[in-house]
Amino acid sequence: MAPTVEIHRKQIGHPEWDEPFVVNMGPQHPSTHGVLRLFLELDGETIVGCDPRIGYLHRGLEKLSENLTYSQALVLTDRLDYISSAANNTGYCLAVEKLLGLSVPRRARLLRTIVCEMARISSHLLWLATHALDIGAMTVFLYCFRDREWLLDIYEKICGARLTVSYTRIGGVRLDFTPEIVEELYRFTEEFPARITDYETLIDVNRIWLKRTKGVAVVPPEKAINMGLTGPSLRGSGVPYDVRKFKPYDAYDEVEFEVPVGRNGDTYDRYRVRMEEMRQANRIIRQCLDKLPETEGEPVVAEGAPDLLMPEKKKSPQAVPHPKKGFLVKGAEVPVVPEGEVYVSIEAPKGELGYYIVSDGSGKPWRVRVRAPSFVHISAIPEMVKGHMVADIIAVIGTLDVVLGECDR
Amino acid sequence: MNPIRTIFLTEIAKGLWLTLRKMFSRPVTVQYPEEKKPVAPGFRGRHALVRDPETGRERCIGCLRCAKVCPSRCIYIETERDPETKRLVVKRYDVEVLRCVFCGYCEEVCPVNAIVLTEFYEYVGYRREDLYFDKERLLANWDEFLMTQKRPYFNPYWKPRGVPEKMLPAPKRKAEGV
Repeated sequence: MAPTVEIHRKQIGHPEWDEPFVVNMGPQHPSTHGVLRLFLELDGETIVGCDPRIGYLHRGLEKLSENLTYSQALVLTDRLDYISSAANNTGYCLAVEKLLGLSVPRRARLLRTIVCEMARISSHLLWLATHALDIGAMTVFLYCFRDREWLLDIYEKICGARLTVSYTRIGGVRLDFTPEIVEELYRFTEEFPARITDYETLIDVNRIWLKRTKGVAVVPPEKAINMGLTGPSLRGSGVPYDVRKFKPYDAYDEVEFEVPVGRNGDTYDRYRVRMEEMRQANRIIRQCLDKLPETEGEPVVAEGAPDLLMPEKKKSPQAVPHPKKGFLVKGAEVPVVPEGEVYVSIEAPKGELGYYIVSDGSGKPWRVRVRAPSFVHISAIPEMVKGHMVADIIAVIGTLDVVLGECDR
Repeated sequence: MNPIRTIFLTEIAKGLWLTLRKMFSRPVTVQYPEEKKPVAPGFRGRHALVRDPETGRERCIGCLRCAKVCPSRCIYIETERDPETKRLVVKRYDVEVLRCVFCGYCEEVCPVNAIVLTEFYEYVGYRREDLYFDKERLLANWDEFLMTQKRPYFNPYWKPRGVPEKMLPAPKRKAEGV
């Protein structure tokens, strides 16, 4: 309990007022970014306890995918973190490709890297917009949505959908870029750094912004690791952990980028980390676009990649000659996907997104488990808000960048 | 904080100057019902069954690939054999749009490019039945959509760019616009 609360209680000296006051925040509160429900125990305006309740957006995606083939289950991953669906698709495809032992052509890897970084920018733009709006900066919200709209338009040109893209497929991507898309992306990467500078002009040294973010929800590096934070929330505390650097997937080993880290581990540092990450993402897109002409004309789907219409069951056994007796016997069932289990994690915009898939050889996954960063981050909220004011909980939810679609699945 | 900045509110003034400048730049707002943004080719919108210009019937051959690949299982097909020509004829082709997730798998796996998600997105209904498209409705959707298009119309998923030809069924390899 914060020391101020103790003093406050002593001054009051009333036995009934020693009980904390319980306030129910959400699930329909606009600042909880979805349907997060928090039981807040308050002493005056100080938070002494917090109990997050999740599950309001539970759709059973993990269970649903057990009844769909591998390529059909890909569509469900769009609905996990619906702001950065391309990154979710990529993670799932990487897991299934590892199971199948496929190697993706270089062009497809570059294209995936581009859409993943576009997802990172659009996710961080939405984060900045809503975080700033919650804290009280309306203009940033409007500017961010203007630029996010541009990215969504590019997504629409790439694959025909704006939010639930389903762009990757097992073994590559579904459509190649056209020259117009490459041109538009070049224009975007040229203009975007100036836009980031605009947002920074508005809030970077703004006194209201500084007062609301500096020193709020400080997480020391050891505590951040112990709480399981990943992504920008962890890097804000000064731990330079990034899956893209530690275990490069797709084309991240070909491109140069820096991993920005914070120093104090407060809300302001996490904001700075995300702003810098947008610049780095822009840089990665640029480098990938420069590499695209080298792979012109390459196929975007790997050799031997399964068709979209995968067989649901193991292939029926064929008669094979008996090795000794010389007559035909029933052979073993042929698995569609090799049996086994696999775990692959990627650096999604929110943090480390992992897929654990168990295969029993049929065309449907036996079990899919998603390690969602938002789920872990929500469990860190009670630790982070203790001793803060009620208004700061909005900043904490914003700074962790939780998406409930991913948390509840 | 810098004392000059604290007293003279320089950072606030800078931010206000930026918003003031933006007042004179071109607005990005689209006044939606009056003006509309052009839709990118291949946008996954309202469903339609392609009408074959030669026969005037649907192109669908009733192979059920779309019904099998659909993740939300929203396509229902019934076929029967024509007693004279001995060919499969599609008796019923229903799409339950309220269940559709608009992934575009159906148009990608269709070997004859019969089903298509058109670029039309403004459709609503007061009842569930309004958004339950049967075969006639789907064909009517196609006619309605083609009126707004410059011919020939070609959907990118009919012959996906960059996908090797040997992975595509034969009619898809030589797919052309309608």
